[in-house]
Amino acid sequence: MPKLLWLFLIPFLTSLAILVLPSISRRNFKRLAVILSLLPLALLLPFGFEGWLGEKVQVQWLSSLAIEFYLRIDSLSLLFIYLTAIVIPVTLLALKSEKLSFPKTFYALVLLLQGLLIGFFAARDLVLFTIFWEAMLFPLYFIITIWGGSEKRRAAIKFLIYMIAGSSLMVAAVLGLYFSANTFKLDGLIGNAEQGPFAAWICAIFLLAFSVKTPLFPFHAWLPDAYYEAPTAGTVLLSALLSKAGIYGFLRIGLGLFPTFMQEWSPLFLGLSITGVLYGGMAAWMQSDFKRLIAYSSFSHVNFVVAGIFVWHQTAHEGAVLQAINHGITIAGLFIVAGWLEERLQSTSLSPFSGLAKYLPQLCWLTLIFVLSSVALPGTNNFVGELLILFGLFGVHPILTAVLGLTVILTVIYMLRLMQEVYFGPPSTFQHQWVDIGKKELLIALPLVALIFWLGIYPDPVLKQIDSVVETKSHLEAS
Amino acid sequence: MNALLTSVDYAALSPLLIILAGALLLLLAESFAENWAKKLAFPLAAVTIILAFAAAYYAPHSENRLLTPWLSFDTTARFFTLFFLVIGLASVLLASAFFQRFEASHGEYYFFLLSSLFGLILIGFSADFLTLFLGLETLSIPLYILCAYMKKWEISRESAIKYFLIGAIAAGFLLYGIALTYGALGTTNFANIKDHFQNLENSSSHTLFLVGIALVTLGLAFKAAIVPFHVWAPDVYDGAPMPVTAFMAVGTKVGAFAAFVRVFFVALPEFDPIWNQGIAALAIITMVYANIVALRQVQLRRFFAYSGISHAGFLLIPFIAETPDAPAALAFYLIVYATATLGAFAVLAFLDKDSLGVFLRNLKGLFYRSPFLAVIFALCLLTLAGIPPTAGFFAKFFLFKIAFEAGYYAVVIVGLLTTIISAYYYIRIISLMFSEESKETEALPKSWPAAIVGSVAFAAIIIFSVYPEPLMALMNLSK
Repeated sequence: MPKLLWLFLIPFLTSLAILVLPSISRRNFKRLAVILSLLPLALLLPFGFEGWLGEKVQVQWLSSLAIEFYLRIDSLSLLFIYLTAIVIPVTLLALKSEKLSFPKTFYALVLLLQGLLIGFFAARDLVLFTIFWEAMLFPLYFIITIWGGSEKRRAAIKFLIYMIAGSSLMVAAVLGLYFSANTFKLDGLIGNAEQGPFAAWICAIFLLAFSVKTPLFPFHAWLPDAYYEAPTAGTVLLSALLSKAGIYGFLRIGLGLFPTFMQEWSPLFLGLSITGVLYGGMAAWMQSDFKRLIAYSSFSHVNFVVAGIFVWHQTAHEGAVLQAINHGITIAGLFIVAGWLEERLQSTSLSPFSGLAKYLPQLCWLTLIFVLSSVALPGTNNFVGELLILFGLFGVHPILTAVLGLTVILTVIYMLRLMQEVYFGPPSTFQHQWVDIGKKELLIALPLVALIFWLGIYPDPVLKQIDSVVETKSHLEAS
Repeated sequence: MNALLTSVDYAALSPLLIILAGALLLLLAESFAENWAKKLAFPLAAVTIILAFAAAYYAPHSENRLLTPWLSFDTTARFFTLFFLVIGLASVLLASAFFQRFEASHGEYYFFLLSSLFGLILIGFSADFLTLFLGLETLSIPLYILCAYMKKWEISRESAIKYFLIGAIAAGFLLYGIALTYGALGTTNFANIKDHFQNLENSSSHTLFLVGIALVTLGLAFKAAIVPFHVWAPDVYDGAPMPVTAFMAVGTKVGAFAAFVRVFFVALPEFDPIWNQGIAALAIITMVYANIVALRQVQLRRFFAYSGISHAGFLLIPFIAETPDAPAALAFYLIVYATATLGAFAVLAFLDKDSLGVFLRNLKGLFYRSPFLAVIFALCLLTLAGIPPTAGFFAKFFLFKIAFEAGYYAVVIVGLLTTIISAYYYIRIISLMFSEESKETEALPKSWPAAIVGSVAFAAIIIFSVYPEPLMALMNLSK
């Protein structure tokens, strides 16, 4: 069996295994789930990067419908698969297993999501792509609706309906493409997609679906509630991985199949995304709740990534891909430390306590690392990505670059406000549940911190991979 | 011409004969040995159906000229016979689950059920308008009685009267339509209708024929519960005992579409584009209306009535498009719809404690009372909603593909948009099941027959979802 098939199947098998397993103690259960969720990474790492490129699985699946089970790995897929394989184990590790009801179902759903995401990032058949695209919503829906906060049901159904509405016409678009080139395979559609009838409509439908999932301004109405009501693990998965599915869609389908339309419409999308960056930043500034603050900051940052995609410049595209990965790492870290803080404060409100640095010094410094990464301090990962995007934009539109550059300052303002209100300032009176994080939590956060600095100081290896992605894309654009 | 029936002919007829024999045996047993019948009616009915299934599976094709003008022994007939028998078996199991809870005599019940089943199979076999009509009536008359089977339930009597009156009107339309076509063409045999129609020179005969076909369509639309001929369905579904509702939701629906297949695929393929346009209009009205009204239902049987109506709208799509793939798409959709609906009714069998109907509020927190039932129900609902990666998605996808191929874009767009609404109401139910506050503490009854139906439906949906190819190729008339 090819290793790609294993990579795809392992999460589904482990998810099933967790479900049928007899109940064991909660702590062991969590350990087991973490180990199982690490398996894809364990399979990925020995072959590094080059060993995976070009791997494929192609099986006849539904010949009556001309649908193939076709997965293939290229640099773009692999970057996002690595992100998935890293973020999911970290999310599970950071989870507090003592209070988790229905641990079996929870772990099974997370592993299922892992499998669906890997399938999604590798899918090369348009129908398969659509199936994973929709299917990944359901594990997240259940995670929100079962383990979420007080308004979880409303938030979960709002999230799901927005997503389904956004991509409801995608099936028509997929069919439209099929009848223009007589194949569902992406390889066969490249170059043909823009020639068919209704090509502009088809492209618009896809972009709408991606915009809702990412979410691009103004399709973000589901985001605050879903991010806020979801349990910490759910929020991490939503922000670090689900939004990446939307961005991956822009890159894979948008740039891959419809480069001309993307270029033609880039002023519109650039306008929307820059508005989104500003709006998200302003909204984050106004929040009185740190979970919502980080949610809006995530929204602002993914719009920054989308802006990078729509700047018609190779450097900006590079920056967008890198920034997508960076955002995944940083936002996962931010939500995880916010989750730990929430456990200690029993609330996510900014106002009641301040000066917590005195009681929770380690959590404070860890948070600070992620905050600094988020504000793109030089030496952290976001600095490289944002710089590349701004650099690309400068070549195209210097004035917009100034606007977008200002938003970086906006990020500094709201993020430092978060630090100021919670950790610094006059210390509140001590409460017994304020126990600082220990070595264990630091170890859990270590991979994310390591990645932040690695990508910040020595991003070359990753940039090289991204280069090859962007080059093939621009090669396609030229041909 | 005086050829006698040989053993091959009897073998070809054996599914019908076995059902007939079993039904008569049940009636005799009920008349002469009531106590015996009480115990053995259920196993006897089940064994009869299983025997008939085996017989249908191995049945040869008869070429006897005594039979072929009336019955056609083709793949379509075989497919529908096997399909109806599976539905029949599921209905028998659900009925026995029902009688575990309600005291009523059993023998007659299964007699009526087998008689209806006989009618259904006859529809599948029919090669002439007269056999088709006979089949529909043999299906309907026992069902009128079954509706009022619980004699003391007032709501059942009301529903039976409604069903009977509407059914009689529908039969009247159908028969009148048949008479008009006979008047125009001089034949009622499916094999000759199209030739005769194409050779018509007289324009008044032409009009007569079209009016006849319009009336036939109308009569069948009543049976299939297509808007605006659907008004009976919610009341009747609501009033009938639960297993009868299940049988109507699945059996009658599939039977009506088997009749559609016989008339419009076998007898009159592509006879007039006007008819296709008209059916397209009906399908659009049905999808929009049923989905919007289903939003407001709080009683699950009425809810399933409207959900069934909306699915009938989708099931019309193959008749609109009439591409070579259309029969296969129809068959696949019917199987998926039947499986998911039966699975859902199996779960309702557990919840319907006094047969007053299950309300949405009764489902609150079902997941915490019985994860087994909640998971089955959720999967069935997701399948009915057509959410990937369930088989429901492939079923809808197949229909949309043929509609797109035939150029009915409006049908595709409306169909996709209504799936957003349907996704909302199906998922709202799921969301209720996973919400915490469950007021009902009463333990759920145990019922192995319903559990079998539920588990088999669950397993079948999973298998159909992973590998639907064999089913899709099942009824390929083009071969």
